[in-house]
Amino acid sequence: MIDSGVDRVVPVLSVLPEDRVLVGESARDWARGRSNGPGWMPGDPEVPVIVFPASVEEVSALVRVANEKGMRLLPAGLGSWLGGGGWTHARDVIVSCVRLNAVEHYEPADLTLTAGAGLGMTELDGVLRPNGQWLPMDAPGADAGTVGGLVACGVSGAMQGRYGAVRDNVLGIDVVTGAGRMLRIGGRVVKNVAGYDLVRLFTGSRGSLGIITSVSVRLFPRPETDVTLCYAGRAAEMAALAHAMCTSSLPVAAVGLEAGNGDTICTARLLGSAGEVEEARSRLIDNAGQEPRRIVRDDESALLHRERAAWEEGSALVVRLAALPDRLADTFERARVLAGALGGGVAADALRGAVRVKASPDAGRDEDIVRALSRARGEMEEAGGSMTLSQARGKVAARVGWAGGRGSAPALGARIKELFDPASVLASRCP
Amino acid sequence: MVPATLAKSLVEICGRDGVILDEDRLLVYESDALTAYRHRPGAVVLPRSTEQVQGAVRAVAEHGLPIVPRGAGTGLSGGAVALDGAVVIGTARMNRILDIDAPNRRAVLQPGVINAELSAAARVHGLYYAPDPSSQTTCTIGGNVAENSGGPHCLKYGVTSRYVTGLAVVLADGSVVRLGGQGREAAGYDLVGLFVGSEGCFGIATEIEVGLLPVPEGVRTLLGIFDRIDDAGQAVSDIVSAGLLPAALEIIDGPTIRAVEDSVFAAGYPTDAEAALVIEFDGLKAGLDEDVERAAVLCERAGAREVRSARDEEERIALWKGRKKAFGAMGRIAPDLLVQDATVPRTTLPAILRGISEIGERYDLVVANVFHAGDGNLHPNILFDRRDEHELERVERASKEIMQLCVDSGGTITGEHGVGLDKKHHMELIYGPDELAAMWGVRRAFDPGGVMNPGKVLPEGAGGD
Repeated sequence: MIDSGVDRVVPVLSVLPEDRVLVGESARDWARGRSNGPGWMPGDPEVPVIVFPASVEEVSALVRVANEKGMRLLPAGLGSWLGGGGWTHARDVIVSCVRLNAVEHYEPADLTLTAGAGLGMTELDGVLRPNGQWLPMDAPGADAGTVGGLVACGVSGAMQGRYGAVRDNVLGIDVVTGAGRMLRIGGRVVKNVAGYDLVRLFTGSRGSLGIITSVSVRLFPRPETDVTLCYAGRAAEMAALAHAMCTSSLPVAAVGLEAGNGDTICTARLLGSAGEVEEARSRLIDNAGQEPRRIVRDDESALLHRERAAWEEGSALVVRLAALPDRLADTFERARVLAGALGGGVAADALRGAVRVKASPDAGRDEDIVRALSRARGEMEEAGGSMTLSQARGKVAARVGWAGGRGSAPALGARIKELFDPASVLASRCP
Repeated sequence: MVPATLAKSLVEICGRDGVILDEDRLLVYESDALTAYRHRPGAVVLPRSTEQVQGAVRAVAEHGLPIVPRGAGTGLSGGAVALDGAVVIGTARMNRILDIDAPNRRAVLQPGVINAELSAAARVHGLYYAPDPSSQTTCTIGGNVAENSGGPHCLKYGVTSRYVTGLAVVLADGSVVRLGGQGREAAGYDLVGLFVGSEGCFGIATEIEVGLLPVPEGVRTLLGIFDRIDDAGQAVSDIVSAGLLPAALEIIDGPTIRAVEDSVFAAGYPTDAEAALVIEFDGLKAGLDEDVERAAVLCERAGAREVRSARDEEERIALWKGRKKAFGAMGRIAPDLLVQDATVPRTTLPAILRGISEIGERYDLVVANVFHAGDGNLHPNILFDRRDEHELERVERASKEIMQLCVDSGGTITGEHGVGLDKKHHMELIYGPDELAAMWGVRRAFDPGGVMNPGKVLPEGAGGD
């Protein structure tokens, strides 16, 4: 097995110096340390090769070599979401863009920033904070990843209703396609309808069309006040409260539900000026007809939501159930049943009606997991919703499928993949 | 004129009243709101259902003719012009709102629904549709989807693509694909996002699902009057830098102010001013006073000679009047108007405005600016008389220089009007051969035979033929 890894390094070394190639145990350590999901688990036979290009030209050269030698590349940043893309293991070379991490352009008064795809989200926040700005994209695990990873995965978080989805805030990208073309699409202005919106096509394509090397994003002023109301009680009661908060006209930035062993927790996050937040807080409590169990403010509130975004970190199996927001109570209940079967927990983004389920590490035999997941998918699809896998081991994913049968226009998707990656050198798939 | 066999097929599919073949009536469809481009279509078809659109598309394609989708024809880039005897498929009669699902804040509608009518219908439920192009009382949501339309309030709320969540699309082969849809996790590529803004080149959206927002509880509007347009531009930067997020930030320059005040639309702006800045905040009433006060102070610091605040809805409408009626008022000054559209980084606005003014002087042309300053989305409008050939030539050269200036500052050639026929050759100012070839490839993925709206958006040659 080690030999196959060494074989794969040879063409890579014609492009990159040796110190930017990891193989064998050191590569396995990198992946194990970084990956949110299954990555390399003890007992997996595959030995990864990881390369770290430091320029767009090097990325381009890697893609060229991959096309020539029949190598398969798996684009990555810090590797935090590698378990979510349905990657194929065998003979893949991971291309980590973490060395492409420069802030290329930042003009605070324009509220836009351009950076290398490998810039960590935590480092990005460090750049924006002194100017009272932020990129409020709180996808699960986003803090542990890079801005390029955020765009490539295109997963939005609980604040989507307030700030828009990731795709709404990406202004432009530089990408090396699977065919080896270097494209600069979109721009760094906030309104742009010049030509077809390839930026949206690449956002959320999970590296299956190209390796994103640079991104331009829209920023927002960091709100003056951050307050979270925390309620606790029975699951059905909290689900009803969450739905009522979502349909009020008050500007709630996020409404969450979390169920574990004890009470279900319902949280409502308010962001804005002090006067606006205070007014909304008071009216939310009046509407709820009860005082929250606790109220947390500013840094403590931000921390609570960061922890919630990182809630699924380290879980080998994470599932998302989604339906229209007014079906939240049903979706949440189905998720609780599934979590019971998997020995895990449940967390919901009530504004979108989406519920995450994470399994415990000893969730049981694959047979039982596959049966529980298949049943949940059937029920969700019958109810007009969906069940998708966010993180899963290859064997389970292969049997259940990352997404259900509701993928739209597969023939169009296939033609687009063929256009940008004709030789299928990019190993990642868009579920 | 289309072949008789095609005319017969179209009548069979859409009914006699759903097909226009008469040369005089076809004249109405020879241009969109950018009247510089005029081509009479071979026929116009006005279907009422997805099935009729499918039938019409198949019939036209069988005869080897191109198809041009059209909403209300309010576009400003020549996108709905029927080149080469194309058949126009108009969505005007597909104007039903199919569902307003208030608990989930979404609506499902046919493409011919008028933008403002959707908001009016949603208002009963305390909701509205956010993108508000200036033509919102006449333009259709289908047209908005094709153009990815913006509007003054997109500064805070974003453009059309943020609100479109699902589509049924008739492709060039007459098949229907359903893309996206709320209530389920997206699987596969974001084909909804890719379709929005595709300017009728990918297919015809026959059913559209959009998100709605709750009507804001309070709205407060300010008007800053400036002696220098640079100062107004500075106020915009200062307001945004201070962390304020107005719903709209609009600038009307001196020539526009004077055109408005000389017209029946007079809004009471001082005619010796060089800029008026409309600032609007919305949200909970509790936070608005604080925002308005801070914005007023920033305007004064930037050099505003006067800051007016609307005390009620009537005064608010009055403050907006100069902005909303600007285009209509310009008709008094010159018979023709070239409405330009470009976006620049917000901080470059003062320098760009100076540059545009200098270009206008050099070509001896009046350029009036009225624009979405908060987004950096400029509309330099060149006033002229097309009967004067020499002037027309100067207009074209000045227009190109203005585009180049905007692109050189890090901007782009269109912020909300689209490329259409008018700007397809400007695409090479911002994209190289590889990017254009990629766009051609995506277009062919949807429409391998090049049936849908040919001759628009992409310049030929860059991987296209």
